[in-house]
Amino acid sequence: MLRFFSRRLAGAIVILLVISAVTFFLFYAVPRDPAMLACGKNCTPDALEVIRKNMGIDKPIPVQYWEFMSGIVTGRDFAQGACPAPCFGYSFANSDPVWDTILDRFPTTVSLSIGGAVVFLFIGLGAGMIAAWKRGTLADKVFSTASLVLSSMQIYFVGPLVMALFVFNLGLLDQPKYVPLSEDPAAWFMGLLIPWLVIQIIFTANYTRLARSSMIEQLAEDHVRTARAKGMSGKFVFFRYAWRGSLIPIVTIFGVDLGSLLGGAMITEWTFSLPGLGKLAVESVQKTDLPMVMGVMLFSATFIVLFNVLVDAAYAFIDPRVRLA
Amino acid sequence: MTSPSQAAIAGSETPDPDGVGLTTEPVGQEGSSDQQVGRSPGQLMWIRFKRDRAGVISAFVVIAMFAVAALAPVISSLYGKDPWTRYGQLREGLLNDNGYPIKANGGIDSEHWFGLEPGLGRDVFMQLVYGMRTSLSLAVVIAILSVLLAIVIGVAGGYLGGKTDYFLGRLTDLMMSFPSQLFFVAFVPVIGALAVDPQDEMPTWLRASVLIFVMWLLGWMTLARLLRGQVLTLREREFVEAAKVAGTPPWRIVRKELLPNVVTPILVQSTYMLPNFVTAVAGLSFLGVGMPASTPDWGRMFATGAEVYQSDITYMIFPGVAMVIFIVAFNLLGDSVRDAFDPKSGR
Amino acid sequence: MRTARVSVVGLAASALILTGCSSGGGGGDEGVSKDDAAKQQVKYEFGDEQASTGPAEEVKGAKKGGVLTVYQRDSFAHLDPAQMYVSDEGSMSTLIHRRLTTYKRDNSGKYTVVGDLAKDSGQSSNGDRTWKYELKDGVKWEDGSPITSKDIRHTFERQFAPFVSEGPVFIQQWLAGKSGTGYRKMLPDGPYKGKHLPDKVLETPNDKTIVFHFKSPQPDLPYALGMAGYAAVQEKGDTKEKYDKKPVASGPYKVASFKSGKSMKLVRNDNWDPKTDAVRHAYPDSHDIQFGVSYEASTKRLSSDSAENKTAVSYSNQVDASSMQEVRSNPDVKKRSLAGYQPYVGKISFNMDRLKDKKVREAIAYALPAKSLMQAFGGSGGGELGGSYLSPTVAGHTGADPYGKAKKPLGDVKKAKKILKESGKSGMKLTFAFQNSPEWQEFSIAAKDNLSKAGFDVQLKDIVSDTYYDQIGKTKNKYDMYHSSWGADWPSASTVIPPTLDGRQVQDGASNYSHYNNPQMNKEMDRISKITDADAAAKEWGKLADSILKEDLPDIPLMYYKQIQLHGSKVGGVVLNDVISGIDPTQLYVKK
Repeated sequence: MLRFFSRRLAGAIVILLVISAVTFFLFYAVPRDPAMLACGKNCTPDALEVIRKNMGIDKPIPVQYWEFMSGIVTGRDFAQGACPAPCFGYSFANSDPVWDTILDRFPTTVSLSIGGAVVFLFIGLGAGMIAAWKRGTLADKVFSTASLVLSSMQIYFVGPLVMALFVFNLGLLDQPKYVPLSEDPAAWFMGLLIPWLVIQIIFTANYTRLARSSMIEQLAEDHVRTARAKGMSGKFVFFRYAWRGSLIPIVTIFGVDLGSLLGGAMITEWTFSLPGLGKLAVESVQKTDLPMVMGVMLFSATFIVLFNVLVDAAYAFIDPRVRLA
Repeated sequence: MTSPSQAAIAGSETPDPDGVGLTTEPVGQEGSSDQQVGRSPGQLMWIRFKRDRAGVISAFVVIAMFAVAALAPVISSLYGKDPWTRYGQLREGLLNDNGYPIKANGGIDSEHWFGLEPGLGRDVFMQLVYGMRTSLSLAVVIAILSVLLAIVIGVAGGYLGGKTDYFLGRLTDLMMSFPSQLFFVAFVPVIGALAVDPQDEMPTWLRASVLIFVMWLLGWMTLARLLRGQVLTLREREFVEAAKVAGTPPWRIVRKELLPNVVTPILVQSTYMLPNFVTAVAGLSFLGVGMPASTPDWGRMFATGAEVYQSDITYMIFPGVAMVIFIVAFNLLGDSVRDAFDPKSGR
Repeated sequence: MRTARVSVVGLAASALILTGCSSGGGGGDEGVSKDDAAKQQVKYEFGDEQASTGPAEEVKGAKKGGVLTVYQRDSFAHLDPAQMYVSDEGSMSTLIHRRLTTYKRDNSGKYTVVGDLAKDSGQSSNGDRTWKYELKDGVKWEDGSPITSKDIRHTFERQFAPFVSEGPVFIQQWLAGKSGTGYRKMLPDGPYKGKHLPDKVLETPNDKTIVFHFKSPQPDLPYALGMAGYAAVQEKGDTKEKYDKKPVASGPYKVASFKSGKSMKLVRNDNWDPKTDAVRHAYPDSHDIQFGVSYEASTKRLSSDSAENKTAVSYSNQVDASSMQEVRSNPDVKKRSLAGYQPYVGKISFNMDRLKDKKVREAIAYALPAKSLMQAFGGSGGGELGGSYLSPTVAGHTGADPYGKAKKPLGDVKKAKKILKESGKSGMKLTFAFQNSPEWQEFSIAAKDNLSKAGFDVQLKDIVSDTYYDQIGKTKNKYDMYHSSWGADWPSASTVIPPTLDGRQVQDGASNYSHYNNPQMNKEMDRISKITDADAAAKEWGKLADSILKEDLPDIPLMYYKQIQLHGSKVGGVVLNDVISGIDPTQLYVKK
C-alpha cells in the first residue's frame, strides 16, 4: 500500500513538473512584454526596470523558472510583500497573490462540481439501475433513449435554453450566481441550482448508460448466478452482490470526471459567469497573466493526477481481488 | 482478413473535462459459433448491421450531414444565398433599429428558411451549412491524425514491449494528465502568435492548423492505450508466434497479423471520437479561441446565440438541434457498428 | 495657455476610452435627441468658498440606510489614487477618496468646479503661476486623524516614485516644467528616502495651506486637481505598492474588503463629516460591489428586477448591444433606464505614415459602412451616424458630412472602387487593427466585406482589448488603419481638435493616432486657442475640423456614441454625471 502510494506520487510529481515546464516556456515564447503593459503610458526605463524586478522577469528564463518552482516550496519575497509557500507569485494583471486568488475562486468550483456530482450520481445511477432491473421494459427504453439524447446536449446550448425558460420566460429562478455556503445556505443553493441541473443533464446520461450495462453484466456473473441459485431473493442479490461489482467502472469514470471538474469547469462557468477556476483560467489567458495561468494549470493538473491515484486506490477497497502493486 | 477475428475492448473512455464524454462498455470475447461456412467476418458484420434498424437510420443521418457539409457550395447556389452577405443590413425591412429580425421567430420566411443573424443580418441556414462544413472538416482531420498516431504509439508499445513500452506508457499518462481544455484555450492563441507576423491577419488555414495541432496532441491517448492492450494479448497468440518462428519480418507481422485484428476497436473508437472532436472544437469557438470571425463556424453560432437568446431564442435552436441530432446519430451508429462486429457485447 | 487644459482633457478622455467604455447603450424609441445633446453642452465654472461649503444639496426623497448592490464588469485594478486612470475607478474613487477640488453637479444639472478638501477651487496669483489652497476645517482620515497639508505634500511627492506608473502626470510635469517623463528626475525616489520637493516648487507654510509654484501659467490647475489621480494619500498610512489594495479613505465610505476580480465592500466612514463636503452624500449603509459581471449579465439582472436586483445598480456598466431590443421594447425596463450621449466620436484613424495617398484614404472613407458600426453597438440606442470630428455634445458641431457617412450609411462601394482605381492602388494590402470585442469583431466583418469589394486586400488584425490602445499608440505601429474614439472632457472643441490632430503632439502613447501633422493647421489651432470669446472660438473650431476632414482626411468619423444604463426599481437618486461619464455613485439611495 505504502509502496504503491509513494510510487504513484513520485510519478505524479514528475508529471506536474513537465506540465509546469511546458506551460512556462511556451508562454514565454509569446511576443508580449507584461512589464511594458503594466508600465502604462508614463513609462521610463527606470520604472520599467522596477516593474520587471517586481514581476521577477528581469532574469534569464530558466532562472525565472527555477525561482518560480522553488518559490512554490519555500516561498519568495516580492515588492508587493512576502509570499509564503506555496508561492505562485503575484498576478501580472492586478498584482494579487495567485495562490490567494485560486483559493478564493476554488469554493465556487467545488460547490459547482460537488453539487453537480451529487445530482448526476444519484439520478444517473438510479436511472441506470432501474433500467437494468427492469431490463427490456418500457422504463428501460425510456431511460436509455433519454440518456442517449441528453448525453448529446452541450452546456453552451442547454444553458441558455434553460435560462431563457426558467429565468426569463417563467421567472421561476434567478440568474445563477455564487454565494458562499457559509454566508447564506439558501442563496447558495438557489444560485447554483441551474448550473447543477445543466451539468447534470450532460453527465447523468453517461452514468445511466454505464450503470445499466455494468449492472447487466454483473447479473450475468457466476457468483451472482450462484447466489440466486442458492435461493437468495432477487433484491438481495441485486444490492448485495451485483451492485458492488458494478461500481468499479463507475468509480473510474467518476474519479476522472470529478478531478477534471474540480480543475475548473470552464464552459459551465463561462456560460453562467460563475467566478470559479475555469473562468479565472480563461480570463488569465486573455490577459497573458503568466503566474495566474501557471497557478491554475498546475492546480487543475494536480486534481486530475490526484484523482487518478485515488481511483486506483479505490479499486482495492471495492474489489478485494484487485491488489495494489 | 487473414486471421481469426477477435475483439476484446476493455477499459473505458475518458470524458473531456466539461463532461461530455462517452463510455464504452467492456466487451466479452467473441466465441467461435459465429464462424459460419462461406462468409467472411466482414460480410457477417454487414449482414448484422443491416438488420439493426436504428443503426441504418443513424447511418443515413450521419451520411446526410456529411453530404450537406460537403455540398455546401451546391446548396448555396440552389438556395441562392451565401453565408457572407449581410442581407439584413443591405435590404430594408429585415432587421429593426436594434439589429433584430423584424419578423417573428428570428425572421424565418420563404426567403430565409432559418431566419437571420441578429446584428450582421446574415442568413442562418447558410451560416449553419457552412459552419458544419468548417467544424466537420476540422473534426475529421483531427480524428484521422489522432487515430494514426494512436496506432503507431499503441502498436509500438504493445508489440515492442520493454523500455519502449514503458516510455510510451509514461508519455501517454503524462498527456492524459494535461488539463486538456485549459491547454487548448491557453495555447491556441500562443501558437498562433508565434507563427504570424504581428501585423498580418492569421490566415484561416493557419488557424485551422493550430486548432488541429493542439487537439491532435491531446486526442490520441485513449485509443493508443486501448490498442496497446490489444496488441499485448495478440502478441502472445499462436498465429503471431507462428509468424515469428517462420521468420516473418516485424513490419510484416504488424501489417498482416496485428493490424487486421485491431480494426474493430479502431472503427468503434473513431465513431466515438469524431463527435467528441466536433463538440470540443465548438467549445473552443464558444470560449472565443476558435476559427476567425469571418469564417462561418458551428461553435461560434453558439457564442452568438448565447448573446442574443433573451430576445431571439430561435437563432440558437437551429445550430443546437442540428448538433444534438448529429451526435445522437453518431453515437447510435457507433453502438450499431460495435454490435455488428461483436454481437455478444452486453446490450 | 490652452494647451495645458488640452492635455488635462486628453488625459481624462483617454482614460475613459481605455476602459472600453464605448460599447453599446441606447435609449427608448425616441432615444436622446439632438436637443439633449445641446443640453449637455455646458460650461464649467470655478466655484468660490460658498459654493464649496457643505453639506451637499439633498437629493429629493432620499433616505439613509440600506445596502446597494453594484455590478461592475471590470475589477478595479487600482485603489491607490496615484495609479487611478480609468473612468470606472474614478467613479468609485469619489466614494472613498477626496481631492483638493472636485466637480459639483447641482440638481438642475449645472456643473461647477469647487473646493473638496480645499476651501475653494483655488487662489491664483502671479499670472496663474502660483496657486494657493487652504484646507477646510474638520476634514479627517478614516482613522480620525486630521488631513493636513503634509499629507497633501506627500500625495504629490509620491507621484514621482518609480512604482507610480499609471496615474496622471500633468501636475508633476507642470511642477518640473518638463514634458514627457523628464519630471521623474526631480525626485527619483519620491519622498521615501527623505528627500522632498523644494519650497519654491511646493510649499506648505502651515498645517492648512499648500502653495503650488509653476514655471509657466497653469490656469487649468483646478480641473486637474479634481481628477481621481490626484486624490489625497495619508502620509502615515502610505504603504507604497501595498496601498493599492488597502488605501486610507477620506471620503464618505471606506474599504471593508476588496477581492480583486470578485467583490468589494464599501462601508460608511464615520470620520467623514458631511458638513465639510459640498458634493457627496452617503445614503446607503454600504455598497456591495461585484466584479466580473459583463454588460450582458448586468443588463439581464437589472432588467429582470428580481428581488435582490431591485436594489442593484452599476456605476458604469451599460446595456449591451444584444439587449437593446429587450430594454427598448419592454416598458417596465425602459422606465428604469437612463439614456444619454457619450462624449465620444468613433472614428477610423488612418496611419498617415503608411497611407500617404489621400485617394486611398478617400476610397476607404467612402467604402466603410457606418450603419454596420451602429448596428454592432446596438442600433440607434448605442450610437448615431455621424460624419464629422465634433460630436453633437460639443459646441462648434456643424453636422457636416463630406463623405456621406450619414447619407449613405452602408458605404458607397462603387465610388470607392472608382477612386481606388484612379489612384492605381487596386489590390493593395490594407491592415485593419481592431479591439477583440464582439462589437468590433462584428464591424470588422462588414468593413472587410465592403473594402474587399472596393478592391482592397484586407487583413483583419484583432488585438486583445487590454492592450489595444497601447499597441495602436505606438508611432511605429505597422497597421494601416485602426479605430479610436475621443471624447471631450468638457464640451469645448479645444479639448478635441488639438489633442487628436495637432502634429506636434505625435509621440508614443499620444492620442494623435493618425500621426497627422500639417503645419498650417497647427498654426490655425494656436490662433483659435487664443480666442477668448467662447462662442466665436467654437465656430472657428467647427470650421477648422471640417476643413481638416475635407482636405486631409486623417481619420474618418463614423458614429457618435450613446449609452444607456439601468438600475433596480428600488434605487433612487440615479443621475448621469458627465464628468465621470456614468451614474453618479454619491447621489444614490435605496428606496424603502
